[in-house]
Amino acid sequence: MYDIKLQGITKKFDAFTAVNDINFTIPKSSVTVLLGPSGCGKTTLMRMIAGLESPTEGRIFFDEHDVTDVPTRRRNIGMVFQYPVIYRGTSVRKNLELPLLSEKLSKAEMDKRVDEVAEILDLQDVLKRQVEELDNGTRQKIAVGREVARQPRIILFDEPITNIDLTSKLELKRSMKELFGRLKQTIVYVTHDQTEAMTLADQIALMQDGVITQCDSPKEIYEKPNSQFAGWFLGNPGMNFVPPQFINVSGSKITSPLFSQTIDFGTKASSADTFGVRAEGINVSTTETKGGVQARVTRKSIGAGGQYLLDLAVGSLLIKARVSHSIGRTAKDAVWTSIESENITFFDKSGKAL
Amino acid sequence: MAETIFKPKRKSGPIKFATLGAWGISILFFLPVAWIISTAFKPKASIVVSPPVFIFKPTLNNITEALSFDNTLSYFTHSIIYSFGSVIIAILVAYLAAYSFSRYKPAGTDFLMFLLLSTRFVPAAAFVVPYFQLFNLLKLKDSYIGLIAFYAMFSIPFSVWILKGFLDGISQRFDETGLVYGASRWHIMFKVILPQVKPGLVASFVFNILFVWNEFLFNFQLGGAKTFGIPVGLFTGSTKGGAIDWAYVASIGTLYVLPLVVVIYAFQKYLLVGLTFGTVRGEV
Repeated sequence: MYDIKLQGITKKFDAFTAVNDINFTIPKSSVTVLLGPSGCGKTTLMRMIAGLESPTEGRIFFDEHDVTDVPTRRRNIGMVFQYPVIYRGTSVRKNLELPLLSEKLSKAEMDKRVDEVAEILDLQDVLKRQVEELDNGTRQKIAVGREVARQPRIILFDEPITNIDLTSKLELKRSMKELFGRLKQTIVYVTHDQTEAMTLADQIALMQDGVITQCDSPKEIYEKPNSQFAGWFLGNPGMNFVPPQFINVSGSKITSPLFSQTIDFGTKASSADTFGVRAEGINVSTTETKGGVQARVTRKSIGAGGQYLLDLAVGSLLIKARVSHSIGRTAKDAVWTSIESENITFFDKSGKAL
Repeated sequence: MAETIFKPKRKSGPIKFATLGAWGISILFFLPVAWIISTAFKPKASIVVSPPVFIFKPTLNNITEALSFDNTLSYFTHSIIYSFGSVIIAILVAYLAAYSFSRYKPAGTDFLMFLLLSTRFVPAAAFVVPYFQLFNLLKLKDSYIGLIAFYAMFSIPFSVWILKGFLDGISQRFDETGLVYGASRWHIMFKVILPQVKPGLVASFVFNILFVWNEFLFNFQLGGAKTFGIPVGLFTGSTKGGAIDWAYVASIGTLYVLPLVVVIYAFQKYLLVGLTFGTVRGEV
């Protein structure tokens, strides 16, 4: 399998720079999710890997092979699009077989491959059906299966789940997870949906304004965002950010009305401008605790998992805290909060994590 | 006012008035065709009589007589060659053009599309003399190549318009998936995309064949004895004897509409889609 090296990749559409000087290596045989808001350049980047767009500047390598000027059809990749591409008027099996026909495989080998993907994607029961009869989720499975059956070295997914209705979406996501576990290929997956990214990725490459701002495992990127953007974009709700007027720095010591402890942040303390804390990083108690900071509950709502999300006001500062069902249910007007030091991330003026 | 809102709709009879009206109007439009066809089978004596005869013993005499004239069969052959030849070439060229417009979107596509259609803005009569001179100069007068090229040129713009509409309705993801699979552009154009725009091909075929099959003026001016088609044959043949030979007109007319009726009837279901210019489809 190949890794994908991007060297100084830039793509401009007239005056608009979609992708801005990206230097990055997508590791082989793993799932890399390009995650970011709409218009951040993630799809453009993927289309350049596929050869469907050519970079304005920079080179693309599959391992040591420079493929920048190699046409799409010679790149030996697979690609699944947002809208399922299926061939009407044919059966599901035929759809899966079509691209294999040009590879001159033996009938046995072809059947083996088709049956294999059908099994992984749970398509055995519909193999004989006509594709028109199937819902969008199943159609997308067919499109995915077709790529897998071809066994290219790299498979690209361009928001494959976005246009699928909600119930099929969950099922498709599960199938993908299982599929990715079995595949040895290098997989690049574009999405703007963080739960998809969290579920499927080995590593998430977070993109903003045409640049990859951070690439880490889902856990790392969630727990240790390297920028305010990463903290805000991942998590639901995103990270709470506490503005400078709630931070006091003296020497290496940092204090804040939001927590009672003093944090020794060493030499970096002087550049601390804001800090962030995740909603679940805030401990909430309904009874007064030692060192607890009193807060007022302004709103509470219950989440899908039974946890509560509390909107809290500490003086004039508004933050969100996620708490267990029992605390959320009993929380009245006043609660006491505390924050563990390891749940606090400091950021400098430019929004970079310290 | 609630009562009026919820008042059930007045029940209509077994056949609605509107339906009857629609049938009436449709039949009215069909009458000239019906007259031609029925006349073709009438005995000569009852063709031009007043009041008209509606009940008669059908005969094939008129048709066999018309067919026995020297040039009749050759008119048909000529018509078939230049009509089908030009329209098939036109559709092929138009498909290539429409594919480029739809997929590569060259700068100024909208304006180019507009320009394409502009050949149809000017009345044909304005072009007759220049084309006559041009064809004489290029020695294309009374040749299939000349006529086919001319009619193809006339058929291409409209076909490009129809086909582009259809192609725009076929997601580019089909093209890109093809590329990913290692297909060439030609393969994608003709094996992946072409089958999906069949209704568009049929629609442009039918519209153009209707035009070329019926075209008289240019065939008369640019053609000659070797290439005159049925419309010219009908015109010259009908007045041969000094008076209008209605039996001849009706017989040739009947044979003349027959291929069109068959073609249109066979492709009717595609044609309905074709009239919407493919816009109903949307992404995949």
